Amino acid sequence: MSEVSFAKEIESLRLGAGETFHGEGILAVTKALLQSGVAYVGGYQGAPVSHLLDVLVQAEDLLSGLGIHLETCTNEAAAAAMLGASINYPVRGAVTWKSIVGTNVAADALSNLASAGVVGGALIVVGEDYGEGASVIQERTHAFALKSSLWLLDPRPELPTIVRMVEKGFELSEASSTPVMMELRIRACHVFGAFEAKDNLSAAHSSKNRFAEPAKFEYARLSHPPATFVQEADKVSRRLPAAHRFIVEHKLNDRLGPDEGEVGIVVQGGMFNALNGRLAEAGLSDAFGDVRLPTLVLNVTHPPVPEEIAGFCAGKRAVLIVEEGAPDFIEQAIGQILRKADLQTKLHGKDVLPMAGEYTPLVLARGLDAFLSLYGAAPEPLRAWIASVAAHQAALQKEFEAPLPPRPPSFCTGCPERPVFSAMKLLRQETGPVHVAADIGCHAFATFAPFSQGNSILGYGMSLASAAAVAGVQARRPISVMGDGGFWHNGLLTGVAGAVFNQGDGVLVIMNNGYSSATGVQDIPSSAREEHGRGSGLDIEKALRSLGVTWVRRVRTYGVAKVLATLKEAMTTPEKGLKVIVADGECQLARQRRIRPALARAAAAGERVVRTRFWIDPEVCTGDHSCIRLSGCPSLTVKPSEDPLRADPIAHVNNDCVGCGLCGEVSHAAQLCPSFAQIDVVQNPSRWDRFKARLTDWLLRRGAAAPAPMVPAE
Amino acid sequence: MASAEPVRLLIAAMGGEGGGVLAGWITNAAVASGLAVQRTSIPGVAQRTGATTYYLEIMREPGAARPVLALNPAPGRVDVLVATELLEAARMVQAGFVTPDRTLLLASTHRVFTIGEKTAMADGRLDPERLLAAAGRFAKKAVLADFAAVAEAAKSPLNAVLLGALAATEALPLPADALRAAIRADGKAVEANLRGFEAGLAASAAAPPLPGGEGAGVRGDGLSGEGEPPHPLASRVGLSPPGRGVAAASVSDIETPLDRLPPEAAALAREGVRRLADYQDEAYARLYLDRLARCAALTADALFLKELARHLAVRMSVEDTIRVAQLKLREARLARVRAEAKAGASDIVHVIEFLKPGPEEILGILPVGLARPLLAFVERRGWMHLAWPMKVRTTSLSGFLRLKLLASLRCIRPRSLRFAEEEAWIARWLGLAEQALAIDPAAAREVVETAGLVKGYGETYRRGHANWRLIVEAVVEPMLAGALPRKSFADAVLQARLAALADPEGERLAQVVDSIRRLADPPALAAE
Repeated sequence: MSEVSFAKEIESLRLGAGETFHGEGILAVTKALLQSGVAYVGGYQGAPVSHLLDVLVQAEDLLSGLGIHLETCTNEAAAAAMLGASINYPVRGAVTWKSIVGTNVAADALSNLASAGVVGGALIVVGEDYGEGASVIQERTHAFALKSSLWLLDPRPELPTIVRMVEKGFELSEASSTPVMMELRIRACHVFGAFEAKDNLSAAHSSKNRFAEPAKFEYARLSHPPATFVQEADKVSRRLPAAHRFIVEHKLNDRLGPDEGEVGIVVQGGMFNALNGRLAEAGLSDAFGDVRLPTLVLNVTHPPVPEEIAGFCAGKRAVLIVEEGAPDFIEQAIGQILRKADLQTKLHGKDVLPMAGEYTPLVLARGLDAFLSLYGAAPEPLRAWIASVAAHQAALQKEFEAPLPPRPPSFCTGCPERPVFSAMKLLRQETGPVHVAADIGCHAFATFAPFSQGNSILGYGMSLASAAAVAGVQARRPISVMGDGGFWHNGLLTGVAGAVFNQGDGVLVIMNNGYSSATGVQDIPSSAREEHGRGSGLDIEKALRSLGVTWVRRVRTYGVAKVLATLKEAMTTPEKGLKVIVADGECQLARQRRIRPALARAAAAGERVVRTRFWIDPEVCTGDHSCIRLSGCPSLTVKPSEDPLRADPIAHVNNDCVGCGLCGEVSHAAQLCPSFAQIDVVQNPSRWDRFKARLTDWLLRRGAAAPAPMVPAE
Repeated sequence: MASAEPVRLLIAAMGGEGGGVLAGWITNAAVASGLAVQRTSIPGVAQRTGATTYYLEIMREPGAARPVLALNPAPGRVDVLVATELLEAARMVQAGFVTPDRTLLLASTHRVFTIGEKTAMADGRLDPERLLAAAGRFAKKAVLADFAAVAEAAKSPLNAVLLGALAATEALPLPADALRAAIRADGKAVEANLRGFEAGLAASAAAPPLPGGEGAGVRGDGLSGEGEPPHPLASRVGLSPPGRGVAAASVSDIETPLDRLPPEAAALAREGVRRLADYQDEAYARLYLDRLARCAALTADALFLKELARHLAVRMSVEDTIRVAQLKLREARLARVRAEAKAGASDIVHVIEFLKPGPEEILGILPVGLARPLLAFVERRGWMHLAWPMKVRTTSLSGFLRLKLLASLRCIRPRSLRFAEEEAWIARWLGLAEQALAIDPAAAREVVETAGLVKGYGETYRRGHANWRLIVEAVVEPMLAGALPRKSFADAVLQARLAALADPEGERLAQVVDSIRRLADPPALAAE
């Protein structure tokens, strides 16, 4: 069960020759996989590539028609290992994940895969989560391509090129026996565009047409010594030249602009559109990419082809390398090529452009200006634009003396994880600060206000492992927080088994919300079995107990007082060993998506429906906002006080409230204030409801100052 | 050549607001119109309820050549900026995406407060007027209106309203019909979205874009706070402001001394009288006026008297258990709840109050002679932290009667422990203010303002009290005694009060009090 329904997207995956595909980049990749005749697809969810799998999970008919095996892997290592099928069998396969984090997890399998090499095309689609909007550390996937001898595609961010690179990527992989990675930046994954579709292809061998026999035993295909020594040599003596030949013969890199020129530009394919925008600003290109400087667009960023690079640079005074991120791998490689070819073309790149950070339009413009100015070709229109931006920034600085307050992401309205952090904040008030080992997932939002807790984040499912040594040097037990996604991805073994094995004495809180929510509500092994889902209902508590964890408590997250009491118990119990609190509460996004339409249908059909929300008594609230500091719910906000004698704004629950009950629980657990009230609206009340309400009204009216009737007069 | 330049559109929204859907409608309308279009975004976990953007480039005319469109907006090169909220509009202006030479700024002026604004211990909201001025000043043209209110009135999502408003500006090469068709083709909540589209179109068309620059204007009422309905609820449900239950005659009867107060103070004092007569009785309201009159005899400082009238009324009507019960039984309350919860005419509404009185709240109602020893007993047994969480259904007979009983204890309130404690506090505070008046009127104003620190219930109330005592004992009293340099009296009290509001842990206050204490030992050089 994914965050959205992909019925329309799936239709576009069925398009055939002569039809035009419209959609986002990552969906275009998915379509290109089908056009390439893949036999298997797998991966692990993560922005910005989640949709590749999300769509296919819902496209069972389409996949079974083509005989494609789909696997929603438990982590990226599993996905990378899955490509092992292409080592022995001539079948094409593709896997996907978020990089750099996913590639790190996959590294072991990737190394072994790359060493053995493949006979069937193997493609790894990675979301290069870099720059604005990124949610992971800023490192380059390029390093993995270099160290493991994988080829790296970085296509121009437009659908026809992306699709062509997927198709050619498989061919390149087969021609050079090497797995190929394709990196797509966030904006490229989400770019909407069009391309001319082709028919989908069924693989020669697939789940529809199975191999009758397994592959022959062939020691040379194992990444195991002594075969690895041969493979190491094969990577450079056979596979690399084969890749060079393929890249040149099939013109994978684009040679744009005039043949001759004083200076030229070598650019990563993924950066081309940004570069073109600035060249157009300089009068050196236009909106159709008709560049007037010799430009080499590297849709394949590894391996560079020495002849191609040298051929481009020969006869030029200088070239500029536009390469985002550190270190400057491409620039280093080109420098070496020029040196070995004994070319005197001056090499520029990270001297005029910044070594690290995102190449935004302004950053690129400044670098381009600096480069061109060195060769007497200062582009006046570009300079004028840079100057106007600077002048405008100066004017803005006068208007905005201080930066505007940030609006970081946060837990959704009614999120079941928020109450646990309310309880942890209350715990902190009682016991003093506690070391909190944070993890990857929605719960990492607790590092932002108003919770502001978490001492470290070491990776997905790594919180408990990251607290192992902390527990040894702290007076209080550290608390590790982990999601159910992280638990299955890594935490079960790295964390829990490790802690049991080493007799750790820490506290682990597992957020059991039923899905991998942060990446778009995908099913995980413990997701409930449902008609269209892939969950298999694995039980986290049973898994814990089977590993030998004896202290396990289950709490309903919304019961803040109970969560607090359980946390206190875990912190203070004399019992040694790992203490695990499984905090149950279904992801509210998933829940609302399920129940809201059902309730609306029921109400429309005249059935009795009770809608619950919270409310703050504006006359009782004194405007201290303690409740907001313990909750941070988007629907719990402030509004001006109606009381002419009070200046401070008062707390207010807006109509987005889903009635999760946290407000009431917090006001009880913290003894906050009597302003909170739960409102139950009974739609289509039964006769009994109406009778009770009328009777109460009548009785109340007999007393003075009776409230207005629950049922308005007719 | 003009046609070779795409129209560049940047949408600023918050995660989960439907910005992606809005961008999708525009994209699909362009595709259907045969225009080359590119859209991209940076969604994902990092933007869940946080600030995010969507960027589109649309060619103005159909053509065979495929354009190379950019994935990032460039400062100074955005033709249309749509913002779903005022701060997000200002954020885009600050980032340089709104420029006077080309940008049409279409923004809803309602506020969705950031977590920092909401968690402030007093009023942390940004000044909306400044945001609005900044938003309008740098645009070529600006359409600034409370489109959230339009959406609320049309019972439609905000993104559809903004699409309609955008259509009215004719800034995109897409006619309104193409956009309507895109909504229909989408097939989701078509009716509500079209209703919103038309409402946005009408709201925006009724008032063509204003030129940007100084004094860039705002449509209609312009600003409204988050969560505030477009029409004042009060008139719809016949809600009366707090405490209007008191007979007018009795109030006017005791209003005579108000004439001696400056007008602004008198207006607040009139509210105070009304509130206190409702809170306790006329005699109590008269006590309030007597206290005001005594200070008015000492000073004519309008600001001092105004803030005194405000804080004294609030402090004299402290929300004790009796008061809370009284407020929860207000006649107009349920009608208001019904309206805010959007209950239908035939729906039944139940209200369940979350209460958790502790020993102080419960025993505070009792007469001093009884409450003191009982509290001492509870404290000795270590029971002070105990409290009784309860859910009281005020729409049921038993819940109603329980609160009614509590509210009826009003007659014994003047003898209660809580009342005695509050009276003692008020006397001390007034005494300090009066003493300060004799030294420095500005300082006296600041002493009066410290009353704002004491508010709330339970832990909040205790923390406010502790902070106030610290400021009085470490700053106000030493100043009055001449132990600290009096020229910094007003400023020291102000700084200490602001510090007390900086964080609930009291860290900032401790630092500020520490630095004020050091004023007592001037550097050796100055002493010579």
